[in-house]
Amino acid sequence: MSSYSESDAVAKDFREALEDIQTIGRPEISNLTIIARENIEHALAISGALVDHIKRAAPHKKLPPLYVLDSIAKNVGTPYTLFFSRKLYQTYMDAYAMVDMPTRRKLEEMLKTWKEPVPGSIDTRPVFSPDVVRPIENALIKVRTTTLQQDQERMRTQQQLYGRGRPAPQGMPYRETPTPPGARPPSQAHSLYHTQQPPIQHSNGISYNQPTQPPPVTYQPQPPTINATSRSTPQPISSSAFQPPHMGGYGLTQLGISIDALNDDIQRLTAAFKAQLAQNPHDLIMQRKFKALMDLQTILQTQNLPQEQLVLVKNQIADLAVNMRAPPAQTSTPVSLPNPVAVAPPPPVAAAAPKVSLDSLFGSGALAALMARNSATPQVPTPQPPAAPVPVRSAPPQRVEPQKATPAPADPTALMNMLRQAGILPPATPATGATPLPSVTPSTNLPFPLPLPGAAKSILPTPPGTIESLTSDIVLKASSLKQFRPQLLPLLFEAQGPQCTQCGRRFPTNEEGKKRKTAHMDWHFRVNQRSNETEKRGLHRSWLVDEMDWINTRETIDKDHVVQSGDADAGTGSLATKTPKTQYIPVPDDPVLAASVCPICQDKFETRWLDDAQEFVWADAVKIGDRIYHASCHREAFRDGGGPPMYTRSTPEPVLGKRKAEIKQDELVSLRGKLKAEAI
Amino acid sequence: MSIPGLGQLAPTAAPIATAASPASAPTTTQTLKPFWEYRFDVPHGSTLGIKLVSGTAEKDGTELAPSTPYAFTATKSKINTWHGCTLEITAPASGTYDAYTSEPTAEETPMVSYLNLHFKLESLRAAAQRTGSMGPRVLVVGPPNAGKSSLTRTLASWATRMGRQPLVVNTDSREGMLTLPGTLSAAVFATLIDITTDWGSLPSSGASAIPVKLPLAYYYGLPQSDDNPKLFKRLLSRLAVAATSRLAEDVDVKSAGMLIDTGGIPTGTRAAAYYDFLGHIVAEFSVNIIIVLGSERVGSEMQKRFAGQTTTVGDTITVVGLDKSGGVMERDESFMQSIRESAIREYFFGNAKMTLSPFTQQVDFAAVSIWRINEAPAATSADGAGITYDDGETRTDTLEKAEPSMMMQNCVLAVACASVHDAPDTIRDANVMGFVYVADVDEKRHRLRILAPVSARLGDRPLLWGSWPEHMVNLLI
Repeated sequence: MSSYSESDAVAKDFREALEDIQTIGRPEISNLTIIARENIEHALAISGALVDHIKRAAPHKKLPPLYVLDSIAKNVGTPYTLFFSRKLYQTYMDAYAMVDMPTRRKLEEMLKTWKEPVPGSIDTRPVFSPDVVRPIENALIKVRTTTLQQDQERMRTQQQLYGRGRPAPQGMPYRETPTPPGARPPSQAHSLYHTQQPPIQHSNGISYNQPTQPPPVTYQPQPPTINATSRSTPQPISSSAFQPPHMGGYGLTQLGISIDALNDDIQRLTAAFKAQLAQNPHDLIMQRKFKALMDLQTILQTQNLPQEQLVLVKNQIADLAVNMRAPPAQTSTPVSLPNPVAVAPPPPVAAAAPKVSLDSLFGSGALAALMARNSATPQVPTPQPPAAPVPVRSAPPQRVEPQKATPAPADPTALMNMLRQAGILPPATPATGATPLPSVTPSTNLPFPLPLPGAAKSILPTPPGTIESLTSDIVLKASSLKQFRPQLLPLLFEAQGPQCTQCGRRFPTNEEGKKRKTAHMDWHFRVNQRSNETEKRGLHRSWLVDEMDWINTRETIDKDHVVQSGDADAGTGSLATKTPKTQYIPVPDDPVLAASVCPICQDKFETRWLDDAQEFVWADAVKIGDRIYHASCHREAFRDGGGPPMYTRSTPEPVLGKRKAEIKQDELVSLRGKLKAEAI
Repeated sequence: MSIPGLGQLAPTAAPIATAASPASAPTTTQTLKPFWEYRFDVPHGSTLGIKLVSGTAEKDGTELAPSTPYAFTATKSKINTWHGCTLEITAPASGTYDAYTSEPTAEETPMVSYLNLHFKLESLRAAAQRTGSMGPRVLVVGPPNAGKSSLTRTLASWATRMGRQPLVVNTDSREGMLTLPGTLSAAVFATLIDITTDWGSLPSSGASAIPVKLPLAYYYGLPQSDDNPKLFKRLLSRLAVAATSRLAEDVDVKSAGMLIDTGGIPTGTRAAAYYDFLGHIVAEFSVNIIIVLGSERVGSEMQKRFAGQTTTVGDTITVVGLDKSGGVMERDESFMQSIRESAIREYFFGNAKMTLSPFTQQVDFAAVSIWRINEAPAATSADGAGITYDDGETRTDTLEKAEPSMMMQNCVLAVACASVHDAPDTIRDANVMGFVYVADVDEKRHRLRILAPVSARLGDRPLLWGSWPEHMVNLLI
């Protein structure tokens, strides 16, 4: 353990040095690089400190430590690159999401160099393996934009919160909780977290089960799930909400997860659980988890699992390990809590942060080593730099709070939204069925119901926030407008769905889009059919409408169909079904007739462009002999069968006419509708 | 001459097929990388076929449908791509065309600026929709041939693709939008624009495969805005009232806002009058964003006049200067004239997709009421300004009652949406229902032979006679 505390000290020094650099000066950076090289045996701790520092740095201070990371990766290389790689995506994307545009460009440049060998080096391998860099690149292509402005503000305030919370700077677990973006405003503070912890716990612990089920039920099916693990079953690789889909590949490339080591881990965990259960014998969740742990152990011992499933098991263990320590917080007396860590053997750990204690819990051996390669659950096992001693009691809240209240969770939300907007996520969904487990997990773990690939549905309800946020960096100035923003392009293309083969219009693939597409194709069909008919009888240009009609015209987009299939709300809907098919006549070409009024109500006729007929018509009009009437007026007046006008209602006609003249046109329409309804 | 199985290698360089093409109507493929443009110039009488084989491509913001042949004639335009594409080009069976690919990068192409502008507008629209306020009112200004109409159209198409319904206003009487030249018009674009036309087509009694657009138009009848500043401004105000009313009534249009195209600002001393018109437009339409295309001179003038000012609805006016597209082609007067002529032809007779049958009719001189729109430049009207003529019934300072004469032969007259019994002011302010063409004036028998789109008597509709669009050679040949 001596090396442990030594690492601790080195990391602490390193972090302090990091905190001192304010500017991007070559000397500081090379100085830190040298320190990193000289203390290569503490690479784990140093890289952890650095990554942590990048994460916590204020947006405008993120660049210098990132340069340090870059410099260490290039000049020292392994094992630092390995340690950085694990969290590179998050580190990079997190920073990227928070910094301003110029810094982003610098980050992009940096990323470019990571794909290449170190200049002047004989090693031809790139700085970071393509597997690490590519996910970032993919994300950047789509997400190269700012986060919501309010998010930034939120982050800034959170940052300040962080600042205050400094005494426990170690290992804020990054984003291991599938925080539903809408469910918990990230601005929620400590006090709230206690009450909201159980659900989080739950989702954390059993993220592989159907999240809709209440905790008591959910855990039971878990072992079968594991048993039945097939490539298409969403599996609990990780509870990380932020896992980018492409990160998934890592699980597969993992090598040699030792069953013995896992067994070892389970045993340790079992011991810890037992200790905790002894303290909280009635904790149902704890009991359930304990049972799950036992199940896992059984599976592990009785079955010969392939590697990739071992990964899952291992991740579950990791999850359980994390959650095992969290429940005390939810008993709502955090202050008096016995720190669960106490059960772990190494005494120094008890004083350190929980994060650190995780390592100790498992022994810094097996699991940490395993986790080091497991990028699917990067946060959980990250060996954090041993922190400055912290009062134990403050630890649990600190430890858990970030799960939902820190900028980190807020950030994935924003990023997820952006991804969704940018159409990057939908592709992830189809993966559910077919792709290997690891890539499945992120999508199933997404904290919100994913829209179907079209993504437009999700765009529809949220356009105000999203389009505005996506474009918030665009200023109406020539220089700002000249920057190409590839992440916006999908909004005009992919996000709008595939093209209509006849005219090129795009329709989303969601429900609404499908409905519209059907209506649209119907429209095409009818137009084609009609144009064949009308061609025979000779066509001519129509007169244009007058001002008032133009102002009252509403554009029709395959509209007659939409109205039919769409949301005919109660009142008008029922009315529409009762009234016979709308009666109309084409607007007479004869100007004299065109100027005529309804002989019954003395009102003019309403000219409309009827898409269905492709011509201007008078709605609710009927031509009887030489005269044109409002169909409704005529029906009412003549409803006893074609006799002379008989005013069946007591209202004398002129009064009616006068009333009509006084009311607005739309009211008139509804009045007519009513008359119709009554007439039936 | 191609060997079966081998075929001809598609030329990768831009094919310049200016010479009369062989009878076989050669088809070539054209591969464009992202941001590249395929610019083509098809004269009257030639037809260039373009088909999108793969990738995505747009013309003025409207996407080409995959594997659908489009036929372009009398067009100088371009196909651009954001993702790269392969086009199949069918050269005219007879006639000529000129085409080349422009290969800019993302940094070079002004399309990027336009796209960003669109997304910025889109966010303003989203904000407007959320708050129920008016979307952005965008004015596009610049010197002639800067690509103003193309930009307006592109912005309109993009907005339409995002489900918006922008109101597009044309204040350039030299070119018509949807209607004939000589009009000032406005139309809501909620549907696809037919890319083989400039703006789409007008309603007819037939079914159109691409939804028709319904414009509101006022007849100015003169080519230059400063030919009759008083009338021009008057009609602009009318148009603005109607446009604003539409926005007020139609929530979808309201949030999408307006896109206003303008005539090119001439150089020299006449520019002052045009700036004055722009000021009028800015005020009447409550313009809050002014896009200056391709002219620092105009840009600085706009900055000076409008930047930071407040619109009538309380927004601050922003002036943005953008580069014009390198692909904008000089459209000389003869090309423009052929465009106008084909627009008139198309109004009456339709196009290749839809043949229309107009009607000729004989009308007695006494049965028509024709009003002449005169030029009244600001300088000369100064001496007669404010004078109300005593014979006010037959004349305003912008409109004059005219008797049919040989002068009208081969002219296009606008049919005003008013009654002959209306006062001249009302007739002047009335919007246009359509146009008739005077095929023959028989002064001896006092009869006019006119071509009307619709087979019906003109009734009591007054006709407006301007000098724009100019005389045709003869439409009925």
